[in-house]
Amino acid sequence: MAVTRRGFVHFLAQGAGTVAAVGVAWKASVSKVFHEVLPSRSIAPGNQKWVMVIDLAKCDGCRDCTKACNAMHFVPPMQEWIKVYEVEDNSAAGSYFLPRTCMHCDNPPCVRGCPVGATYKRTDGVVMMDQERCIGCRNCIAQCPYSARAFNWSEPPHTQAELAQPYSVEHNYPHRKGVVEKCIFCPEMLRMGMLPGCAEKCTMGAIYFGDELEDAVTNSKGETIQFSKIAAKGAGFRLMEELGTEPRVYYLPPVNRKYPSPTEKHMHG
Amino acid sequence: MKDRDIELPHYGSVGLPAPMNAREASLLGTLQMSGRAFGIWVTMLGAFVLWGVFAYSLQWRHGLVETGMRDQISWGLYISNFVFFIGISHAGTLISAILRVTDAGWRRPITRMAEGITVVALCIGGSMVLIDLGRPDRALNLFRYGRIQSPIVWDVLSVSTYLTGCLIYFYLPLIPDLAIVAGTGAIGSLRRRVFRFLSLGWTGSSAEWRLLEKSISVMAVAIIPLAISVHTVVSWIFAMTLRPGWDSSIFGPYFVVGAIYSGAAAVVLAMCILRSALHLEDYLEPVHYRNLGLLLLSFSLLYLYFNVNEYLTVGYKFQGGEKLLLERLFFGDYAPYFWTVQAVGVVFPMLLMIAVLGPRRYRHFTIPGLGVASFLAIIGAWAKRYLIVVPTLSSPFLPIQRVPEQWSHYSPTWVEWSITSAAFAAFLLLYTMLIKFFPVVSVWETRPEEPIAEVPVRAGFGPPVWGHAVRVPLLLIGLLLGGAILARAGDAPKGKPSTPQPPLLTIAWKALPASETPRIEDARNAPSPLFAGRLSAIARPFPVPWSQPESRRPDNNGSYQEIQVSAQLRSSQGAPLMYQPVGFSLKTLFGSVDLGARPTDDEGKVEVVIRDRRHGTYPVIVAYAGDGSNRPIRSQALVDFGARPLPALPTVGVLVGPDFSPEIGLPFLCFYGGMWCVFAYCVGYLVIWRMRRARETWPQVQPARCRPEESVG
Repeated sequence: MAVTRRGFVHFLAQGAGTVAAVGVAWKASVSKVFHEVLPSRSIAPGNQKWVMVIDLAKCDGCRDCTKACNAMHFVPPMQEWIKVYEVEDNSAAGSYFLPRTCMHCDNPPCVRGCPVGATYKRTDGVVMMDQERCIGCRNCIAQCPYSARAFNWSEPPHTQAELAQPYSVEHNYPHRKGVVEKCIFCPEMLRMGMLPGCAEKCTMGAIYFGDELEDAVTNSKGETIQFSKIAAKGAGFRLMEELGTEPRVYYLPPVNRKYPSPTEKHMHG
Repeated sequence: MKDRDIELPHYGSVGLPAPMNAREASLLGTLQMSGRAFGIWVTMLGAFVLWGVFAYSLQWRHGLVETGMRDQISWGLYISNFVFFIGISHAGTLISAILRVTDAGWRRPITRMAEGITVVALCIGGSMVLIDLGRPDRALNLFRYGRIQSPIVWDVLSVSTYLTGCLIYFYLPLIPDLAIVAGTGAIGSLRRRVFRFLSLGWTGSSAEWRLLEKSISVMAVAIIPLAISVHTVVSWIFAMTLRPGWDSSIFGPYFVVGAIYSGAAAVVLAMCILRSALHLEDYLEPVHYRNLGLLLLSFSLLYLYFNVNEYLTVGYKFQGGEKLLLERLFFGDYAPYFWTVQAVGVVFPMLLMIAVLGPRRYRHFTIPGLGVASFLAIIGAWAKRYLIVVPTLSSPFLPIQRVPEQWSHYSPTWVEWSITSAAFAAFLLLYTMLIKFFPVVSVWETRPEEPIAEVPVRAGFGPPVWGHAVRVPLLLIGLLLGGAILARAGDAPKGKPSTPQPPLLTIAWKALPASETPRIEDARNAPSPLFAGRLSAIARPFPVPWSQPESRRPDNNGSYQEIQVSAQLRSSQGAPLMYQPVGFSLKTLFGSVDLGARPTDDEGKVEVVIRDRRHGTYPVIVAYAGDGSNRPIRSQALVDFGARPLPALPTVGVLVGPDFSPEIGLPFLCFYGGMWCVFAYCVGYLVIWRMRRARETWPQVQPARCRPEESVG
């Protein structure tokens, strides 16, 4: 076939026509096929946006939060859903205690990476964990920069109290082998209008919890403060902000502490 | 052309013995491998596999506690093996597809053994992931609840597609061989029946040759992007995380090059071993080793380049989360391992290959030298996978604290080592079985005259091919999309989520006119004034329906709502109580926010302005403590701070939705769906459907005396 200008223009026109047709079909189909209606499990019982504020200036590292959480959720041994780290930003500044829960990120890498939707974001901001769906691939553990996830490497030891209730995604027990576990902000407590276990049991009142839409957070001592004000005036920060995970857990810097720092504790204790 | 016309093979009517020469006869001797050495080899491998099965049964019963992995280092040997075997599987594609597309004639004797490595390595690699699962009994959840946003699902998609493609690509060039071998006395009657069945009634007519060659060429073209995608997707499991050392944009090509390097090394090693073990000196000549050796050498150079690039860019800066990892890799506890792997796995094989391929005086060492180099390259590749997986996991952002000492250092247990050695043994065993069952070298491709082989690469791209090659997949995609639309149209949203209750009006408060408090503008969020208009003008004809850039901004830097709550304090007679302290508080879910106390003015009025970021309706409690003549009083009013936003997932979240995300799902499904369409076209249409029709319209009387010119035209 001879190469003519008309033929080549025709060829280009056919190509453009194909692209346009595909574009139109795309536009017509995408909105129909991929409409976004959340499944019921992603819709929280209430219309809140839970937020936690941890005042590091008040945390003396007593680990009452960890004990309360472990008791409440029958957390398997060797796991700490809320773990109190001793961290040191630099050697001159010294160390401080850092309670780490699940950050319940608004841009959660674990949720993005979960192949089966076993961990999922709820409309109230909680990153839920469904142990009945988890396949144990541990991609979420690799994804989480906060090391907030744990795995049941063997069948966890059970207690009667733990086995008394059927499994619910809102309290995550009875525990089972081969699935991932983590802090879930105690949804069953929130449903009853109560603070999560760690916030309730923090003797120092360092853990504040509340609804961001209420703009108020409350601690175990009943102190309710305005969230936007405390976060702004108290120089609130979030862990590893630079990773863009948008955590729902805020920290207030460990300034003017009234108790010994971890280093001093180790020296005297 | 005259010669070709005469030499055209037609092993046709399958019963007839095909013409065999001496080297083919000795080749087909491998189909009846037996004897003491073979028996010992198979028994040994089988014992390793059985031991691995026993170890896995323990792991199945007790859980992954049998491994050395724990919460901190939660991936170990199994994932390293997975990456390694998927890497090895690049062998077949490289040798066979790339060399076939580029029409490198010397590839012919080695394609079959390379493709066999691919198929077997993929089977082993894929099963390593299943072994790594905490709940293998729930593996089907991947299909029931699969989320296309997850790299794990990409892996399932890509590895299964690749395995299918490689099986087809292994099978297609085998069809004439199956017919040839079934026509000889080289195999027993049972296997002959199987071969006849698998050869799909191949008669060797020129129409069949043409269809087969077209099918192979299309598959060869399709499988190259597929292979590259598979190794890239494997790297994305790591690169899609935020972990130091993995969070790297170079990982895709780095893994692809590493895979080609280890895959080519596996082919060279297989060639070296099989040549002496099966006496294939007639087929595998020094030129094959030299060409493949040069290929391997160039890939080792490329891999070295990628290694330098990967570690120099982060090592130069030594920053952030990578600092701890690099300290451990370069100077710390992983340093001996790291430098040994780089030296023995990359640099030494490279130098050895240069020595045995370069100077003329050492060329007689080419084959053993290449054998040693490729063996070291494979060991190095495996160790490098381990170095990619484990050190990163053991250097997390937050320090590893309050766990037993052995939890922060990964050391594989005997169960893991057993399963790993079983994986290697299973690889060798399956490969041995494969070359015992099928001819290890393609018989028809290595015949002195390849009648049709030269033709179809060109013919494969002719207009009629493109016609079908494009139309059939397009039709299939269209059907799939149409079906999906129909399926989804049925479950359109039944009802809208309920809107918040209408606000309750109280008389004691009012919302002040919204005043935009000066907020700190982030210049990065502002649209570029120069291009904003133009961009929207360009983008308007094709708005992407699912992305609303306006709503993706964090909404918490909006304006404060100003609410004025006023109260009037009067005595029981109705006279205003002046200069009395009145307290305000606002009741929230868990407590109450103290809004402070104010004195009343001379009319007994007091007001407070609340400027919070609050949504919803709250009781505001106004309390008066009382004095000598007035009793304390407390009253409350519901104050509406504006509607709460509808329950929704956070807009800042990227790809965190529970459902299929089209922006990432469509490219994946289109790519791999297209591959499946190509498979269906190559096997279902060309090889099964068209060939049967060709045999019906070309009855047996035609002993392939057709003129191949027809196929050229």
